[in-house]
Amino acid sequence: MSASRELVLPPRPRNRGRTALVVLAVVAFTVATCIPAIGGVEIDLASIAKNWRNGADKLIELLQPNFAFFPRTVLPMLETLQMAVVGAVIAALVSVPLTLWAAKPTNPNSTGRFVVRTIINVIRSVPDLVYATILVAMVGVGALPGLLTLILFDLGIIVKLVSEAIDSADHGYMEAGRAAGGSQFQINRATALPQTWSLFTNQWLYTLELNVRISAILGIVGAGGIGRLLDERRGFYAYGDVSVIILEILLVVVLIEFFSNVIRKQLTK
Amino acid sequence: MNASSRTTQTAMQPDTNTETIEPQSGRLEIPPQPSLLWPNILTIGVGAIVLAAGAGLQISWADIPQIPANVANYLQLMFASPNWEKLPRALTEMWRSISMAWLGAILCVVVSVPLGMLAARGVGPAWLRAILRGLFAIIRAVPEVIIAIILLTVTGLTPFTGALALGIAGIGTQGKWVYESIESAKEGASEAVRAAGGTTAEVTRWALWPAVAPSIMSFALYRFEINIRTSAVLGLVGAGGIGSMLSNYTNYREWDTVGMLLIVVIVTTMIVDAISGAIRRRIMEGTRIRELARSA
Repeated sequence: MSASRELVLPPRPRNRGRTALVVLAVVAFTVATCIPAIGGVEIDLASIAKNWRNGADKLIELLQPNFAFFPRTVLPMLETLQMAVVGAVIAALVSVPLTLWAAKPTNPNSTGRFVVRTIINVIRSVPDLVYATILVAMVGVGALPGLLTLILFDLGIIVKLVSEAIDSADHGYMEAGRAAGGSQFQINRATALPQTWSLFTNQWLYTLELNVRISAILGIVGAGGIGRLLDERRGFYAYGDVSVIILEILLVVVLIEFFSNVIRKQLTK
Repeated sequence: MNASSRTTQTAMQPDTNTETIEPQSGRLEIPPQPSLLWPNILTIGVGAIVLAAGAGLQISWADIPQIPANVANYLQLMFASPNWEKLPRALTEMWRSISMAWLGAILCVVVSVPLGMLAARGVGPAWLRAILRGLFAIIRAVPEVIIAIILLTVTGLTPFTGALALGIAGIGTQGKWVYESIESAKEGASEAVRAAGGTTAEVTRWALWPAVAPSIMSFALYRFEINIRTSAVLGLVGAGGIGSMLSNYTNYREWDTVGMLLIVVIVTTMIVDAISGAIRRRIMEGTRIRELARSA
């Protein structure tokens, strides 16, 4: 080894100026969101110091679940689960053609793609409970507005995520289909669809999980399920009952998460 | 099935090695078809569950054909001539929702990054990991609305309550993402630091943090996007912002105002998503080639 050749460290990248700029922007935005005069959030720490006992009392009440209430929660919970399952299945059925329509490799027609994507983006930007509120006003109280909300919400997720996954993947097999003289429909049916089943299944299971979570609160605006009971018990300040309901939701969500993880492992094996 | 295909392979190997490819009897050995018994049973089971669930729902199925006409009617009421008179107030309320979402995201990230790091395998001790992961799971299971309702008794019906609720509710998911991304980071760097005699704190600072910082920042921005949607929901239970306005006017059945509010929500959400998405891509994928060429 020659002694004359020293190792030269490359110069440290200097982006201190840009880091300062980014930090400044974040701080400025944060300060701007804290000014009540322009509609920001007034940070009110004094009221926390003054009223924290209220919240603590409520938490203590919540920590004493009234298990005698459990039998009354079974039927609404069942309704929540039914809504979640049916919503997920209908969304799954509708999502397949829409997804293929929204992805570039499976739909070369850019106008059609643009239309579907815009609709999906619009659907996605409305929050779930807002749908539920409006749909309850439109079609009346009950499981139906809840079901429609879940379907819309699920479609937004599935179509967006799966079509983006199709867009970013490599598609040699589709070329084979085209080389063999297939029409776009035949290519999609025979090559693209079998390749994307696992993507779809993954998202379907995920929306099922989400549906249980969401349909638990849909009842607050009158869209059926256990949320209605939750809202009612809260209205009576029966926090022991409320905590039973929360525990039940927790249990169901954890169980569904566990099973869908098992299924996902099987699928990716 | 696996075993049988392996035997076919070994049986065919001598042929290729000795290069005596004979036409034999001209028949390729087709592997036996995999049994479809279990998939079929599974399909029938799932189908039965779905049918039972659908049949059990208290829905008057006869009304369903009328839904499209109904919805079209209401859409016309909402969007045919939106009531733009209340736009200034709507924009203020939307900004309030954005403020809630932003403060909630910051609060959530500040709390969940250190906690999430402690909950990662190889960083925190096992007992602490179990406690933190349990905490995250519990927070994830409790809907934001419930957290907001508990907080309402402390801070009253203000947007600050909403920000706090968003901050606390996000910790569950955010903490999970942090420890999952740390655990999926490549082992090499942390092994190197440990081999050089680094303590756990030093491993975290010099190996794990640089590896996961971009994805954590990206998740933080994503939390802001999620919070914008959720803040509208919190408004429905009284935390202020655009959600409160929406639920009020829906209750009054003032559909032209509701239409205007929905347009504000949709447009704002899409703009925020686009900006935040662009920043996230920049964080995750780095400078574009064009910019690299300019700086070189």
